Amino acid sequence: MAGNAIDQTRRMLSLVTYLRERPGARVADVARAFGISQDELIADLDVLPLCGTSFRGGDLMDIDTDGERIWWHNPDDVAEPLRLAADEATALLVAARAVATLPGLREGDRDALLRATAKLEAAAGEVAGASSRLSVIFESEGGVFADVDRAISERRRLWLRYYSPARDEITEREVDPIRLFAVGRTYMEAWCRLSEARRTFRLDRVVEIKLLDDVSDPPPIELRDLSELSSALVQTGAEDPEVVVEVGPGGRWVAEYYPHDSADELPDGGLRITLRAPDPGSLRRLALRLGRDGRIVAPQELADSARDAARRALAAYGE
Amino acid sequence: MAIAKAERLMNLALCLLGTRRPLTKRELRGSIEAYLQTGTANDEAFSRMFERDKDDLRELGLVIETVEGIDGETGYLARRDSNRLPPITLDAEEAAALGLAAKVWQQARLAGAASGALQKLRAAGMPVAEDPYDTPGHSALEPRIPVHESAFEPLMLACRDRRPVSFDYRKANAARPEQRQVEPWTLECWRGHWYLAGWDRERAAERVFRLSRITGRVRLRSGAFTAEVPDHVTVRETVESWAGETANGTARIRLRSGHGYPLRAKALSTRAAGDGWDELEIPYGHGLDAWLVEFGPDVVVLAPEELRADVVDRLRAVAKG
Repeated sequence: MAGNAIDQTRRMLSLVTYLRERPGARVADVARAFGISQDELIADLDVLPLCGTSFRGGDLMDIDTDGERIWWHNPDDVAEPLRLAADEATALLVAARAVATLPGLREGDRDALLRATAKLEAAAGEVAGASSRLSVIFESEGGVFADVDRAISERRRLWLRYYSPARDEITEREVDPIRLFAVGRTYMEAWCRLSEARRTFRLDRVVEIKLLDDVSDPPPIELRDLSELSSALVQTGAEDPEVVVEVGPGGRWVAEYYPHDSADELPDGGLRITLRAPDPGSLRRLALRLGRDGRIVAPQELADSARDAARRALAAYGE
Repeated sequence: MAIAKAERLMNLALCLLGTRRPLTKRELRGSIEAYLQTGTANDEAFSRMFERDKDDLRELGLVIETVEGIDGETGYLARRDSNRLPPITLDAEEAAALGLAAKVWQQARLAGAASGALQKLRAAGMPVAEDPYDTPGHSALEPRIPVHESAFEPLMLACRDRRPVSFDYRKANAARPEQRQVEPWTLECWRGHWYLAGWDRERAAERVFRLSRITGRVRLRSGAFTAEVPDHVTVRETVESWAGETANGTARIRLRSGHGYPLRAKALSTRAAGDGWDELEIPYGHGLDAWLVEFGPDVVVLAPEELRADVVDRLRAVAKG
């Protein structure tokens, strides 16, 4: 979070406003209010005494700390709250509007977001206008979302019927929910009692959901950093079997949707894509979908199974 | 050791905010330690640094006025009344909601701007509030806006500043990228992917571009927009039709019992057809043929004939291997 000089300058400008209103503020409270570590705050406090409206004759800010509390001995009226920059207003307004679109968000929170958004728009003034040039839609299944949210806050186990596209089947399972997250679509991370493992469930694939009376008791697990998840969210590992697909120009989308090890350009404008799948059979759907836009090169069994499925399907049309 | 940039920017900001009259470049240079250190001989270096610093402060929201003096020297100041945040009172619930929202950006520039906005609001008195979805050790709700496309930041700035751009773009089924000249209007994120809507100058028409298909760099072009920016831009409808979510008819299919849940979820009607099959009526739009083929021998198209032919055609291509 310390980030670059721009972010630090931005933070220090707000910091002087904050400190002016709160003589003797506690280091821990200030760090929390600014969303930074205490070390980062101390680093800012090392810079501030070197700053001032020095044009008026060396009047640097006399700010010091004993490591516990912060004192500003010559508070200056220069430290008034500053208006929002265009990017600041945009970042916060676009995010607030996006979160408010989450179906299933608690109504109280949605109302609070909408109230805050209206106040922010008014306070930001004309710079709020640019925020309409950026927008984000979160999709989720409102009812399922609300049930998962309730299960987490009441610490209750969930029963699910869940659709697996890889097998084109619906399975029943009990899970202990851990968190909801949205990355384009909305997902639940949970401990699956059936597989005794952490699983990610896409909410639009939940066919049916029920809150159970059992206490949810997921084992302590380290949460993955969401910034490392790709939008495809397919969990693959280096030990998974390799699948090689060759696509023509019309199949280039495969590289956009499937995480892959490599995608090499082919002379005709197509790609040779190497990816990994825990269960290569799950890619039969992809092979069928590609049609004349691509084919499975390896493994051979996968290519055979797609060809066989297509032949059996054609039989129903009298071929 | 050179003085850190943040210290230099901070001093320039405080000088400009603290003054009642415009200060000249010379005066600022004489009173800010970091500028003194650039040396009197090096006017060029100082001027470049000063211009960059002013731009940086303006990015941070500071309104810096330029005033022509009677002696021909330009003066600068940041008036208090044009830089003051208007009064805003947020309660704990509203503060908590904004705290949740500020965490959604994963793109560095916007993440920094969002936390900067929260810091300004907290400095102005917004309470520090708990995450409403707080559970031991983490938040139970984490909305995130992914930005993987390198074209995002330059396009975001071009949309903000209304600057025309050009970039190489490869259409979904094109073998080679082609250069496009675009007046960028809005960016929209749908299902985790970013799209740009704007005016395509060569085609003289509104177009939607998927950012992941932009290859190479986005270049800013000089000059202003030539086409009028519409009040309302609808990216989503266009993208949904690409994704085959816009139906303009219906199709009848047979589906093996127990299979094809997503088809069943979309069905307008379903009835048992005997022998372990159901008959469904489903919405028919662009891309339905490719989707139905995924289900292999578990789906048979009954009508319309055109869809049936498309599916058979695709199956033949796969059956040939």
